[in-house]
Amino acid sequence: MVAQNIAFGVMVGIMGLSAIRVVTTRNVVHAALYLMVVLATVAGLFLLLGAEFLGITQVLIYIGAVIVLFLFGIMLTGARIGKEKLLSHRNKVPALMIATVITAVSIYAAIDYFGADKLPEETRTSTKEVANSLFSQYIIPFEVASVLLLAALIGAIVIARREPHEENLTK
Amino acid sequence: MIFALAESIIEPLAEFSRPAIDWHALSPELTLLGVGVLVTVLDILYKERGKQIMLVITGLGFLAALIPIITLAVDGVASEPRILFNGAYVVDGFSLILKAMFLIAGYVVVLLSSQYVADGDYWENEYYGLLSASLLGMLVMTSARDLITIFVALELLSIPIYMLATWNKRNPKGNEAGIKYYLTGVFASGIMLYGMSLIFGASGSTILKDIFSSPDFLRSESSAFVVLGIVFSLSAFAFKVSGFPFHTWAPDTYEGAPTPVTAFLSVASKAAGFVALMQLIVVGFYGREDVYAPLMWFLAAASMTGGNIIALRQKNIVRLMAYSGVAQAGFMLAPLAVVGVSTTSADQGISSIIAYLVIYTAMNLGVFGIILVVARRTRSGDVKSYNGLFSVAPTMAVLMTIFLMSLAGVPPLGGWYAKFSIFRALISANTVSGYVLAGVAAVNTVIALGYYGRLAARMWFEKPAEELEIVGGASEIGSSENAEVENGSDVSVENAYEKQIVGVKQTIKAPFSLGIALGITLIATLLFGIVPGTLTHFTTVSLF
Amino acid sequence: MTVTQFVIASAVLFSIGVYGVLVRRSAVMVLMSVELILNSVNINLVAFGALHDNIAGEVFALFVITVAAAEVGVGLALVLLIFRNRKNINIHEVDLMKG
Repeated sequence: MVAQNIAFGVMVGIMGLSAIRVVTTRNVVHAALYLMVVLATVAGLFLLLGAEFLGITQVLIYIGAVIVLFLFGIMLTGARIGKEKLLSHRNKVPALMIATVITAVSIYAAIDYFGADKLPEETRTSTKEVANSLFSQYIIPFEVASVLLLAALIGAIVIARREPHEENLTK
Repeated sequence: MIFALAESIIEPLAEFSRPAIDWHALSPELTLLGVGVLVTVLDILYKERGKQIMLVITGLGFLAALIPIITLAVDGVASEPRILFNGAYVVDGFSLILKAMFLIAGYVVVLLSSQYVADGDYWENEYYGLLSASLLGMLVMTSARDLITIFVALELLSIPIYMLATWNKRNPKGNEAGIKYYLTGVFASGIMLYGMSLIFGASGSTILKDIFSSPDFLRSESSAFVVLGIVFSLSAFAFKVSGFPFHTWAPDTYEGAPTPVTAFLSVASKAAGFVALMQLIVVGFYGREDVYAPLMWFLAAASMTGGNIIALRQKNIVRLMAYSGVAQAGFMLAPLAVVGVSTTSADQGISSIIAYLVIYTAMNLGVFGIILVVARRTRSGDVKSYNGLFSVAPTMAVLMTIFLMSLAGVPPLGGWYAKFSIFRALISANTVSGYVLAGVAAVNTVIALGYYGRLAARMWFEKPAEELEIVGGASEIGSSENAEVENGSDVSVENAYEKQIVGVKQTIKAPFSLGIALGITLIATLLFGIVPGTLTHFTTVSLF
Repeated sequence: MTVTQFVIASAVLFSIGVYGVLVRRSAVMVLMSVELILNSVNINLVAFGALHDNIAGEVFALFVITVAAAEVGVGLALVLLIFRNRKNINIHEVDLMKG
């Protein structure tokens, strides 16, 4: 148990610091890389909670695909790779106040509601359980999500592609 | 060896028992899914030639999905709901009437889109596939009684609209409309998910009826956690229905998006938000009226007042409709503040919201139909371009007046009955907060009459606007005539003749498809106002 | 391990994400902040799933990941389109309409 708590502390520490860098850094590429660190530590937390399949999915989809997509987006829009002064607004103070209030209230609410409720010793869930419930209880959201992915794919291509006459111009 | 290997693969599968699926209950969604797939595949075959074919197939497909709804209704689903997946998906009277409403609204939007296609604005046929996908999300939403299904349905109905809002790719305003709607949308769904995760933590279930019966969720001491969960998850839907102060995206998105998409956004997407709110509040959070009732009360009062006051000084017709939509959303939110009083007031509140949604859909689509017809002539969204519409196009002016007066709630039009049912639900709850809210609503009905009436007065009493009279250069007259003739619309020969000789005051005629759309919405607006029984027969449903 | 420590970690991540959405000007950076929020949601869901011994938490998190991937794809397509039209993706300079 001690080992688990140490692992938790280390991962949450790294996660918090990297997350703060994601929203404060002036360099777009650095932000994407810090985001990757956050995602990796979250995957670590999933493993700590015994959600193996989810941890691996997190690495595959988030780190493997979403971060790459972000980097492509940064590259294709030709954002400056170096430091940019105008990446944040001036309204930092109200935003900071809102964030602090949300943190304080959420932490109070969590301690108030759960206190020191221990998690069960054995929290490991097998991939088989996930798959079984996904294809029985959650079959409708599963199918709906597949339609969603198809629609997003088709729509994103239509939106992002150059129109035919534009291609002719570049040729 | 091979058999052993095969067995080792198959054996784990043996533990999986195939879920019992009620195919009949799911057939409206499956039909619509088929339409979407068919349109997407046909687009590859027909490419640019298929514009008109796609239109017809999509329209007929939406209507075809009504057939299983009718068979389900005949089957007595309203009295014996079909409960699937341990209550995660329920097909009952509530979901059937709303599914029918979404499909008919989708059909009208397809009719409204047809002229956009024909007038040669930038177009891609994937439009119809995305429209079907969004509509499918709405159909799923009406039956979703589980946090996961609600979330996935919400995303399926929103993501295609983010892209449809920016469909006119070269229009910078359209781009802005899309990205603003998208960024606020994903932020709101993030907030909603955080709230849902807290609710899951408090109750230990994602199925709404289990959340309702969970003792932990209902316990009143140490409830800050539950309060946070409910407030976060409901405010995200307040964004979806463009309730004040979460409405800021609406005017910009409405103005920048293609007008048929705006029409879809302003009725169907808003209605889907209300469907989710009704299900969450009446099925899931029903025991926690201490949390949701004040929240809904505030949202309703703020939306009605804020929307109306800002609407008073709008110069653009679409922005005017956006703020009018904020105010109308306030009216529909109002009964949610009193549904917690008793189960009868909950039933009455739900019925009044559904009646309001159906009537609002009809009259608002009607207004957007007229906006489309008039904009074909004026190419402008300025309210001034409606000056003197009556002397140029009497039919359009009369129709627009009917729809506007209905939105204002003038008897005997549909909007009157809609407002009446809201007031009845508020007053019959017999609580102080209900009476006060009814008072706020009454004051706002009067304010709203101000701007709807002013717009109507422009059409009847002002001198005709320049844009209305002069069609533009001679070449433009020629091209617009060609477009109309190609569509087989009913521009009469004398009309064309008159154009050349007089050059002013040719009447504006609605093309065939827009004519049907206006006909459907007009009949609904009049019928539900004069004989409300035709509507209440279907909207008297219960979520219990 | 207690469930509270996971909920607190998630609350901190959520607030950082909200802060990011409120301060960032570029659409891509706002999108990254939204990803932080979605990850905080997933930590909550998995922790509560373990607490209540309910597989729904993990399945919910799986759907959140799937939908987030679709959202990012659509978002970057929109950003790309705007960049091509305007050579600028700062949401605050995208402001043609007022009212």
